[in-house]
Amino acid sequence: MSQHDLTAGDLAAQLRAARIAAPPELRERVRMIAGSEPSHARLSWFTARRALVVAVPVAAAVAASIVFTLPSHKQPQPTALSAQRTERAASPPLHGSVSKSFGAAPALAPPPSRTRAQRYGASLTLRLATATGVSNGVKRALHIASALGGYSTSVHASTRGRAASATLVLKVPRTHVQQAVTQLSALGTITGEHVDVQDIQTGLNATDRTIARLQRQLRKLRAETQTVSVRRNIATITARVERLQRQQAAAIRTARYATIDLRLATPASAAPAHHGHGPLHGLGVAFRWIGIGAVYAFALGAPLAALITLAWLAARTIRRRRENELLSRR
Amino acid sequence: MTFAQAAERHLDDVYGYLSWFTGDRAAADELTGATFERALRLWHRFDPRRGSAQTWLCQVARTVALDHFRSERRRTRREELAAQPERVDEHFAEGLSADLEAALATLTAGEREVVALRVVLELDAATASRVLGISATNCTTRLNRALKKLEEALHVAA
Repeated sequence: MSQHDLTAGDLAAQLRAARIAAPPELRERVRMIAGSEPSHARLSWFTARRALVVAVPVAAAVAASIVFTLPSHKQPQPTALSAQRTERAASPPLHGSVSKSFGAAPALAPPPSRTRAQRYGASLTLRLATATGVSNGVKRALHIASALGGYSTSVHASTRGRAASATLVLKVPRTHVQQAVTQLSALGTITGEHVDVQDIQTGLNATDRTIARLQRQLRKLRAETQTVSVRRNIATITARVERLQRQQAAAIRTARYATIDLRLATPASAAPAHHGHGPLHGLGVAFRWIGIGAVYAFALGAPLAALITLAWLAARTIRRRRENELLSRR
Repeated sequence: MTFAQAAERHLDDVYGYLSWFTGDRAAADELTGATFERALRLWHRFDPRRGSAQTWLCQVARTVALDHFRSERRRTRREELAAQPERVDEHFAEGLSADLEAALATLTAGEREVVALRVVLELDAATASRVLGISATNCTTRLNRALKKLEEALHVAA
């Protein structure tokens, strides 16, 4: 049989028959290499990559837990503070003499300015034990307002079973607002307090200046020959001055009184109290932040992963092309 | 299986593969030693669940051979600039006819490699493709092309 008559099977058989054995020197050399195998057996499943895959998320979780479960030194423990204030406010008797608690004004009610006009607003949320307490509280609040020279603009009260709530809007002379807030806060336990002070003196001064300027213009115009045009100007400016003076007077009147929004309620109808954090709260916060981190990581990581994949594919293509080029040589 | 057992069992396979791949017995000798040195360093990465020791050693041998080819190409380029490069006489195996030797010499390194893996070492398509880092279909195509080329070369020689 000549070579060109070989079938693929014959060819394969011939190639296989000519299988090469390693020379003895090489065999000896490889045995020596194999003999230097380190005796300590490595764990086959333990690799640096696997260790990283486990270690990195664990480290992130531990770090997040530590960061979010440790109390922050920057925040002066607001829960403890509010509790203290509640105790102090709750101490005066509900039906006792109000004058006993006059000395201590709530920290949030700053004294009104005696020299500048201010828009002073305060809101108080008080918890009372019973519906009767709420009813009595409304009466006492109205009495306090009128005793200090103020009045009420609205009163809403409702009772449902043992739960009751009332909302009052009181106007109190600004000079007595601290006193009013102190007396009102003694009606029950403070669960919420808000004070809003807005300076309107600057605006009043600006209006004063505008009025003065317009009045100077008026004097000038009145000194001129009274033509139709001048008379029309005088009428326009006069109307403007009168409007500004009315606004000024209204603003001053408003600034003279402070507005106090008072809400009295029994525990059932009161706004839900802020409960203290449980032992697993920190863990929950940590997991929430880990979740947020995961979303961010995904948002940033997905395009990055796509880029890396593309780069890897490009690198593989280049590598294969070079390899093929290398192997295409005889 | 220890590294020594794997080396003893598959030394001929690795040496044969490298001989066919390089077409140079002396180079194959050197590269086999280098392969087992590298394999010893990387032995902790060998996972029997992902493939046999023979496949893994052939993969290491291939990396070593490719490094060798790259350095050879750099050397040849340098020599081409200075003088005529040294020509290595290709001698693949004992007992092959002169026509077959000549026909084998017409194959590229890539074609010889796939013949060595699929025909001489008798690896299946999946295993050989894993060594080559290509798909099984691609591997089979490459083998068919190589065998056809061999047959044509033999026909011409006849």
